[in-house]
Amino acid sequence: MKKVLTGNQAVAYGAMLSDVKVVAAYPITPQTTIIETLADMQAEGIGDFDYIRVESEHSALSVCIGASMGGVRAFTATSGQGLFLMHEMLHYATGARVPVVLANVNRAPALPWNIWSDQTDSISQRDTGCIQLYCEGNQEVLDTTIMAFKIAETVRLPAMVILDAFWLSHTSEPVDIPEKEAVQKFLPSFDPGDMWLDPENPRTFGSVSMSDVYMEFRWLIQRDMERAKGVISETHTEFGNLFGRNYHQVEGYLTDDAEVVIVCSGTVASTGRVAVEVLRSEGKKAGMLKVKTLRPFPSDEVKNALRDKEKVAVIDRNFSPGAQGVWAQEIRSALYELADSERPLLYGYIAGLGGRDINIGTIRDIYERTSQSETPEDADIWVGVKYV
Amino acid sequence: MKHIDQKVPTTLCAISTTSSAVNKTGSWRFSRPVFIDSIPPCSYECPAGEDVAGFMYLAANGRFEEAWRLIIKDNPFPAITGRVCFHGCEAKCNRAEHDEAVSINSVERYIGDYGLNHGLTVNNNSAKRGEKVAIVGAGPAGLTASYYLRLWGYHVTIFDSSALPGGLMRYGIPSYRLPKEILDGEISRLRQMGLNFKMGTTVGKDISWNKIDRQFDAVFVAIGAHREATLKVKGIEKKGILNALRFLREVNLGRQPVLGKRVAVIGGGNSAIDCARVSRRFDANVTIIYRRREAKMPANAEEIKMAREEGVQFLFQAVPLEVCGNETVAGLRLQKVALKNANSSDRGQPVPTGETFYIDCDTLILAIGEDVNKEDLPRHITYKRNRVETGHMGRIGDSKFFAGGDIIDTPRTVTHAIASGKRGAVGIDRFLAGLPLGKSSLDPYRLGDSENISFSLTTSTVPFPKRNRTREVVNYSNLNPFYFDRRPRMKTGIIPAEERARSFQDVVISPIEEEVTTEARRCFNCGSCTGCGNCYLFCPDLCVKNDPDGNGYTVDMDYCKGCGICVQECPRGAIKMEFVRE
Repeated sequence: MKKVLTGNQAVAYGAMLSDVKVVAAYPITPQTTIIETLADMQAEGIGDFDYIRVESEHSALSVCIGASMGGVRAFTATSGQGLFLMHEMLHYATGARVPVVLANVNRAPALPWNIWSDQTDSISQRDTGCIQLYCEGNQEVLDTTIMAFKIAETVRLPAMVILDAFWLSHTSEPVDIPEKEAVQKFLPSFDPGDMWLDPENPRTFGSVSMSDVYMEFRWLIQRDMERAKGVISETHTEFGNLFGRNYHQVEGYLTDDAEVVIVCSGTVASTGRVAVEVLRSEGKKAGMLKVKTLRPFPSDEVKNALRDKEKVAVIDRNFSPGAQGVWAQEIRSALYELADSERPLLYGYIAGLGGRDINIGTIRDIYERTSQSETPEDADIWVGVKYV
Repeated sequence: MKHIDQKVPTTLCAISTTSSAVNKTGSWRFSRPVFIDSIPPCSYECPAGEDVAGFMYLAANGRFEEAWRLIIKDNPFPAITGRVCFHGCEAKCNRAEHDEAVSINSVERYIGDYGLNHGLTVNNNSAKRGEKVAIVGAGPAGLTASYYLRLWGYHVTIFDSSALPGGLMRYGIPSYRLPKEILDGEISRLRQMGLNFKMGTTVGKDISWNKIDRQFDAVFVAIGAHREATLKVKGIEKKGILNALRFLREVNLGRQPVLGKRVAVIGGGNSAIDCARVSRRFDANVTIIYRRREAKMPANAEEIKMAREEGVQFLFQAVPLEVCGNETVAGLRLQKVALKNANSSDRGQPVPTGETFYIDCDTLILAIGEDVNKEDLPRHITYKRNRVETGHMGRIGDSKFFAGGDIIDTPRTVTHAIASGKRGAVGIDRFLAGLPLGKSSLDPYRLGDSENISFSLTTSTVPFPKRNRTREVVNYSNLNPFYFDRRPRMKTGIIPAEERARSFQDVVISPIEEEVTTEARRCFNCGSCTGCGNCYLFCPDLCVKNDPDGNGYTVDMDYCKGCGICVQECPRGAIKMEFVRE
């Protein structure tokens, strides 16, 4: 059934169709309508779950961790400052190996206050051990929410579905809502296996582990994060077979003969597709590479997609002060493994922070600048910034 | 990935192989929580020692019969005290520091009326006792003593010179404060218990004190204070001068008093207010004359307020010098007085200023107090400051005579009379059982250092489990106000002043059930465990458990680390930390 949905409504439908049993969340713009929609669904009996009101995002994720350890599927959603408050519990969720799924609507960090799109909030959670899946459109948001549960539960790590503030969260698009029975076939009930708090068999989870075993537990996280790369691909394939919509960790568009490949994530990828078409119509050999996963980072796919390309321009709607845009850093690291002869030049661009528009013109500028440059500069270029 | 240790953990996260119950964390403890029952300030203040927190809790849950049965453990007349008690409990209510004191009086009134409307009765199911007890005086003290003694199985005979029982509750308090049908209802319940009433019988006249002494194993004397004080001023012998108690008695007997159009009442106590308000109901123009300031009046402030609303006028800091007129009262010559040494603790001494003035009046009512009439009492009685001298439990000397009510040294209110009747009953019970009547004999029933006796709080575990009773009175700082929202006190419905001044109907409109349950929910239930579950929910070690006997909660000391969170989160101060060496 098709419906016109905002990205936030799509998230809510995704969670509801995934048959979550516990939703705990605290409202924050621009996430609020996700949990409002879920609260309505709960109140109207559309979703069979408990909605637990909490006093902070820290508690929201804590409740979800508790619910998940109790053996049920749990979901939360947040944005910006709320995600920062969850940070401690994200590490905890990973260590506890609970497959909680959370949606994060990208919002710029304060100060100064800003509610618009910026990836710095989710990027800042890069090292928590939470799977990160960036979405381009509302259909992808809904589908990814469902897939996130499957991926998370298979590798027993938390997963984050990420969507841009307003460009997705508050913008409506026609979205195909899958049948609940079909989703259940794809995503059966959560089986916690032996890892749950069984009152009949009380055990302590996550008690103090000394240096003789701590490292091993951390290594298991890494092992399963690596395993997640394959699991994500398999899940994409299985989903595609069942629902006819195909997703990839790395997806190229007109890259085969491209002289400049522009790497995008989130909604910038959809602008990127059109920008590349415009540049092509002008006879310019532009291509676009959309990267969906930041963690685990699909370094092999990135390597293969960019091998032998001349130039790569990475657009980062985020930055790591004192270093560079994070996607650029990640991609540069992946490319390092290529032989010198195969390795393209990499140009980093910081653009669209705090909701500043990245339009076709912005991408054209990035293309032109990259195309005309002989060698990349030492630092990222801040596109359109009014230097003082 | 490239440096894999061969010994990989078999689980994804550190999971114990057995329950963490093997780790008895109680050994970490250096202090422990103890469930306590402290004294709520209302009960501490109540002369009758009622379990206010308990009946509030029951009323809040609509359990009115249980609430009624809880009150009558300590006070046989809740419908009466719910109207006429001056509720010192409310002045001490901890809720006053939060928003406004709970309207304890209104809730008690509703519960008392509930008992009357539902015909609730008391069974004297105790073992029958052979001893016979005489009660002399059927006022609140005598009736209360007879209630308890009958409850405990004694043969009780009540003597009173009036035609009907009730004493000042019938012949003193006007019916707009205490309707006669309420009084009759409460007393008829006592009749059903098998009390033998000898009304219209004046002991010392119709039957001698010696005969009473011979025929009964113990005697409780509570005949009240009826010797009228008088003023030593010129013209005090004139016609048109009434005594307050006699005036009120006439009106309460349903007779038309001989009252003029301009009434002056002298006095500042509750009977002065009663006389003034009654006179207003006979359409008189009324002025109360009091020698001190309004704030120093012994009368209850609410009564003063209602009197003023009904049109009673006040003249403060004035004393009469002369009653003017020929044979009948025509006016008063008064002198203005100044107050010396008046402060918060001292009512001050009026001193003449020499300035005199005159007011018109045709009736003068003297409401300046009554003394004990020694001629009405047996000769062996001794007195101290004109009151009957009694021992610790109301006993007169070493005799079988006990005393209570207005003849002994106690404030003259219905509730204090009830308290003295209860104390006398316990004294007689112990006397007849050959038990000591010493200073500490009542300690098991006392709330801390209070003189008052409470049966409900000291002998009952309803509705709250009472464990480790302390001698401390709970104050607001012992509570966790976070758990109590702020809500205004219920508004007591009062009939408009113009209407009040025209009739003798009850001036207070009876509250409805919803008002009462809402108000009762405002009660903090200070110092008691209501089973709210906060300690149970907050305990991080899950060691607070439901007591299997339904007696609140218990703490599993094998695991309690002594963190004190339960104490912090208890809304009512019913848990305390105790330092221990274990």
